[in-house]
Amino acid sequence: MSDDFYIGWEARPGAGPARRLRTLVVLLLVVGLGLAVALATQQHTIGTSVFEWGNLKPFSGRLELQPYPHLLVPRPGATNSQPGFSTYYLVAPFKHGLDREKFGALEGQMVTLQGTLIYRGDQTMVEAVPDSIHAVASPASLPTGAATVRLGRQTLVGEIVDSKCYFGVMNPGQLLPHRACAINCISGGIPPVLLVRPKNGPAIYLLLVSALGKPVNQQVLDFVAEPVEITGEVEWQDGLLILRADPQTYRRVGR
Amino acid sequence: MSLQYQAVQWNRQKRLYDAVLVGGVALYLLGFGAVTEFLFPNITEEILLMRAFGSAAFILLHIILCIGPLGRLNAGFLPLLYNRRHAGVTLFLLALIHAVMVVTTYHAGGDTNPIASIWVSSPLTHSVAGVPFQAFGFLALVILFLMAATSHDFWLANLSAPVWKSLHMLVYAAYALLVLHVTFGVLQAETSLVYAVTMAAGLVTVLGLHGLAASKEARLDRKINAPDTDGWVEAGAVADIPDNRARIVCVAGERVAIFKYAGKISAVSNVCQHQNGPLGEGKIVAGCITCPWHGYQYLPETGASPPPFVERVPTFQVRLKNGRVWVNPQPNPAGTRAEPAVIEL
Ligand code: FES
Repeated sequence: MSDDFYIGWEARPGAGPARRLRTLVVLLLVVGLGLAVALATQQHTIGTSVFEWGNLKPFSGRLELQPYPHLLVPRPGATNSQPGFSTYYLVAPFKHGLDREKFGALEGQMVTLQGTLIYRGDQTMVEAVPDSIHAVASPASLPTGAATVRLGRQTLVGEIVDSKCYFGVMNPGQLLPHRACAINCISGGIPPVLLVRPKNGPAIYLLLVSALGKPVNQQVLDFVAEPVEITGEVEWQDGLLILRADPQTYRRVGR
Repeated sequence: MSLQYQAVQWNRQKRLYDAVLVGGVALYLLGFGAVTEFLFPNITEEILLMRAFGSAAFILLHIILCIGPLGRLNAGFLPLLYNRRHAGVTLFLLALIHAVMVVTTYHAGGDTNPIASIWVSSPLTHSVAGVPFQAFGFLALVILFLMAATSHDFWLANLSAPVWKSLHMLVYAAYALLVLHVTFGVLQAETSLVYAVTMAAGLVTVLGLHGLAASKEARLDRKINAPDTDGWVEAGAVADIPDNRARIVCVAGERVAIFKYAGKISAVSNVCQHQNGPLGEGKIVAGCITCPWHGYQYLPETGASPPPFVERVPTFQVRLKNGRVWVNPQPNPAGTRAEPAVIEL
C-alpha cells in the first residue's frame, strides 16, 4: 500500500486518500440530495387535474359533433339557473380525436358509451372507447342544447393547449416541454383550447374554431404552447365557451 | 492494464466506487420522486420519471466534467477519476430512460412515427418555442451512446488512443447540446429562479474549473529554460524533487517528468500511454513510475511497463551538474533505456 498515493487497482487505498475520499463522498451525496429536494420543490407547472386511468365507466347522453365532438348528459335536479345537462368533450384513445365521420349518423341522438373521465376545474372530458358508442332509444328528457349566447368580439391572450392533455391526461401538459405532444394531439383531432389565466379568478378555456365555426386543428399548430393573442367572437354554446377567429389573424406575443 | 483485451477486473475499490455511484443516483431519484409526489400528487408518473432521470443525468454529467480539472488541481480528487467511465455509462443509461419516457409519452400514440416526431412535430418558428430543443437532446444522447459503447479499454486499443480521445472529447459537444436542451426546454416552463441559478452555477463551475486547470498547466509550460550550448536544458535542483516523486518541466515544447528514486534521477515523457495522464504527478511504487490516473506502471530507466504489460513511453537522457538536473530535449524512442544519473552525496 502506498500511504498517500491513491492507486485504484490496489485492494485498499492508503489512510490519507481513504479519509479524504470518505469526506468527498459524503459531500457529494449531501449536494445530490439537496439538489433533489430543491429542484423538486421548485416545480411550478403541476396543476390539479385528473385522468381516471383504468376506470372505465358508462356514459349516456346526446352526441353532438359540432364544432368538436361532445356529449350532453342529462343532469337530474336541473334548476332555472343550471342547465339541464353536463357537457363532456369526447375524444378517442391516445393522441386522437373522436372520428366525426364515423359517428356522423349518430349526431343529435342519444347514445351510450364506455369511457374514462378526465377533468380539470369545471372542464370535463371523456376518452371514449370508440367501439362502445351506440345509439339508444331516446328518453322523454332528451337534453336540448341551450340557445347560443353571443358574448361579443373580444381580444384574449393565452396559450393554445391540447385539451386532452391539459385537462388531465398529462400533468403538466402545457408549455414548451409539452409542445410536440400538444401538436401531435391537436393534429390528431384533439380539440385545441385557448387557456386564459385572468389575474384573479379561475382559468378560462375557449374552444378554438374558425370564423365560420369550423375546426381549426391543422391551422393552429404553429401557435401551440406559447403566448398568443386572438381577437374574435366569443359565444356560449352547449356549456362550452367558443372563440371564433381566423387562425391567420392569431398573433404571437412576447412573454 | 494491458492493451490486450481483458475483462474488467473487479476489486474492492471498484466495487465500492460503483456502490457509491449507484447508491448516490438512487438517493437522488428517490429524493426527487418522494418530494414531488408529496407536494404535487397530481403529477403524471411518466413526467415524474422524465424529470427525475433527466435531471439526474444532467447533474451527473456536471460531476463527470468536473472530475478531470479537479484532479489536475488537487490529487485528492483523483480517486473519482479512476472509474469515471462507470459514471459515464451510468449517465448514458439515465439519459436513455429519460429519452424513452419522452418518446413514449410525447411522441408515441399519434399519427407520426415517434422517432420522426422528435424532428417534425415541433415546427421551427421565429420564437423561443421554435428552438428544436428535443433534437438537441437526441443528438447529445447519440454522443453519450457512442462514448458509453466504446468506454472499455478494448476500444481504446482498437480505435487507437488519438481516435478514442477525440471521440471522448465529444462529451463537451454533448454538454453544450444539453445546456441548450435544458435552457430551451424545461427552463422555459419551470421559471423558478432556483432552476436558472442552479443551471448557471453548473455552467460556471464546469467552465471555471477547466479554466483554472488550464492556467495551472499553462504556467508550468511557460517556465521554459534556455538550452545550454550543447542543447541540454537545465531542469532545476535535485534537492527540489521529493523522493519517489517527480518534477514536470517543459523542454522543447514537451512535458518531461523527472523522477528521483533510490538515489537516482530518470526522465520520461510526462504523457501516460493509457489516456495521457500526467506521469509526473505519479509516484514510484515498487520501483515503477505509477500513473496517478489509473495506475499504469513504467520502469523509470526504460519507460517500459514491466512484463506482461506492453505500454512504453519515451525516455530522456539526464545528467547532474552542481546539484542541478540537465535534460537532453531529444526524446529516446519509447521504451529505450536511458542511463539514470546517480546522485552523489
Ligand atoms: S492515463 Fe490511465 S493510467 Fe495513465
